[in-house]
Amino acid sequence: MQDKQFGAKSSFGFITVDRISKTFPNGVVALSEFTTHILRGEVVVVIGPSGSGKSTFLRCLNGLEDIDSGSIVVDGIVLDDNKKNRLEIRKEVGMVFQQFNLFPHMTVRDNINLAQRLVRKKTRAEATEMTMDLLRKVNITEKADAFPAQLSGGQQQRVAIARALAMMPKVMLFDEATSALDPEMIGEVLEVMKTLAGEGMTMVVVTHEMGFAREVSDRVIFMEAGKIVESGTAEHFFNHPREERTRAFLSQILT
Amino acid sequence: MKGAILRKKPRLTLLDAVIMLVVTAILGYIGYRITVGLHYKWNWSAIPRYLFRIDENGNWKANLLMQGLFTTIRLSIWATLLATIIGTIAGFFRISKSLFKRLLGRTFVELIRNTPPLVLIFIFYFFVSGQIMPILGVDDFARNASESTQSMMTFLFAPPRFLSAFISATVTVAIFEAAYITEIIRAGIQSIEKGQFDACHALGLSWKQKMQYVILPQTIQRILPPLAGQFISTIKDSAIVSVISIPELCFQGMELMAATYLTFECWITITVLYLILTLSLSLAVERLEIFMRRSTA
Repeated sequence: MQDKQFGAKSSFGFITVDRISKTFPNGVVALSEFTTHILRGEVVVVIGPSGSGKSTFLRCLNGLEDIDSGSIVVDGIVLDDNKKNRLEIRKEVGMVFQQFNLFPHMTVRDNINLAQRLVRKKTRAEATEMTMDLLRKVNITEKADAFPAQLSGGQQQRVAIARALAMMPKVMLFDEATSALDPEMIGEVLEVMKTLAGEGMTMVVVTHEMGFAREVSDRVIFMEAGKIVESGTAEHFFNHPREERTRAFLSQILT
Repeated sequence: MKGAILRKKPRLTLLDAVIMLVVTAILGYIGYRITVGLHYKWNWSAIPRYLFRIDENGNWKANLLMQGLFTTIRLSIWATLLATIIGTIAGFFRISKSLFKRLLGRTFVELIRNTPPLVLIFIFYFFVSGQIMPILGVDDFARNASESTQSMMTFLFAPPRFLSAFISATVTVAIFEAAYITEIIRAGIQSIEKGQFDACHALGLSWKQKMQYVILPQTIQRILPPLAGQFISTIKDSAIVSVISIPELCFQGMELMAATYLTFECWITITVLYLILTLSLSLAVERLEIFMRRSTA
């Protein structure tokens, strides 16, 4: 395995999230003065009860949701109303969704080729070469010509990961990537995610998989009602949680 | 697997037979009333010569009714094309982020859909044909065009003396149908899962790329059935331009009826001609749908 392919962990913030707030039109407060810094190569796992704003936080990082106030800077680019900046950040940030969101009218190969050709302006041959490399990496080369509907959930999610990686992102966001999967398929997707983490990819992962959090993460953020309740290393977080609320949450999910 | 999808053999039940008998009886009675009650003299043999005639050189030529049919086809094709373009643009306006564009799209749709088409025809006809056509100089252009241009225009649109009326009629029908196509396109795009948009954004696709490669291909497949229905409606609705003397099928039928008094033969023939057009289009679309479903399955 290539070690630290995506750059060594460094002390400066790679993603700087400064006091961001977001309230949905229906009045639900998703994020309130949320602040965190994510380092290059860091694997951050975000957990919390449903409705706590985890997914919204993730979706703000690449501008899928607009923030009401505060600031987000990714690799030196300020995420604001400037369309160019937004596209620039999206090129650098890959995202994997709970529902896979593959393009149903395209083959697996075309799904992964599309953005390479349109956004990275690669030729068909260059894109396909990269695509086949990535399919090998997620261990699903034989399905290159299949349509998403012919694949199992686990296979679809691995294709979705390959599609995001094809853009050579500097950071990957995982929004409950295994929550829609049948139990027997969760392992194969987590395996790919672990490999990525091992290669030094910067990752922000919203998940309910505590095993993954414990094993792979550099830092766990526990949030509730749009705020960070507690944040720390996996070891600290699972074994010596400080906050009462964290203990209550952990006892609920770890039984 | 195979046994489960075997189709049930069609069987004629007693109820079917009774219904068929009743329908036949009603049709028979109507025929009887017309023939006996109205003393109507059926004369079907007069109809074919109004479909085709033999000119002085002995060649077959389209006559009144077929000319009308061709005008209906030309009118419908151009109106459909134009309506699709207007409807697509207005459809995008309807879902735009800009409030002004949304309002504009909404106003267009509501205005057209909530006005009787007959009223629209008159408004557009007297405005478009009466004011805009002279400004554009359509009539002068048509009259002064070369022989070959004129015959080309006749083939594609209408004879020079009808050109400006034909264009007004086409635009009117197109705007009317466009309001419905706008809603079909809006609903189609909005029916695409939000995740598809998210995936496009996350990959850094531009608006145009997102629409062209991901959203519209999926939308077209979904809106094909209602869109085809609207195209068939266009053919049917085109009959209304007969009130502004466009020599399309319905207008020719009225002319023929006035000249020959063959009321029933004339309108039955016209019904059949419309049916041939619309039914063949429905069948073609059905085929296309099956083909598209197979190609993505």
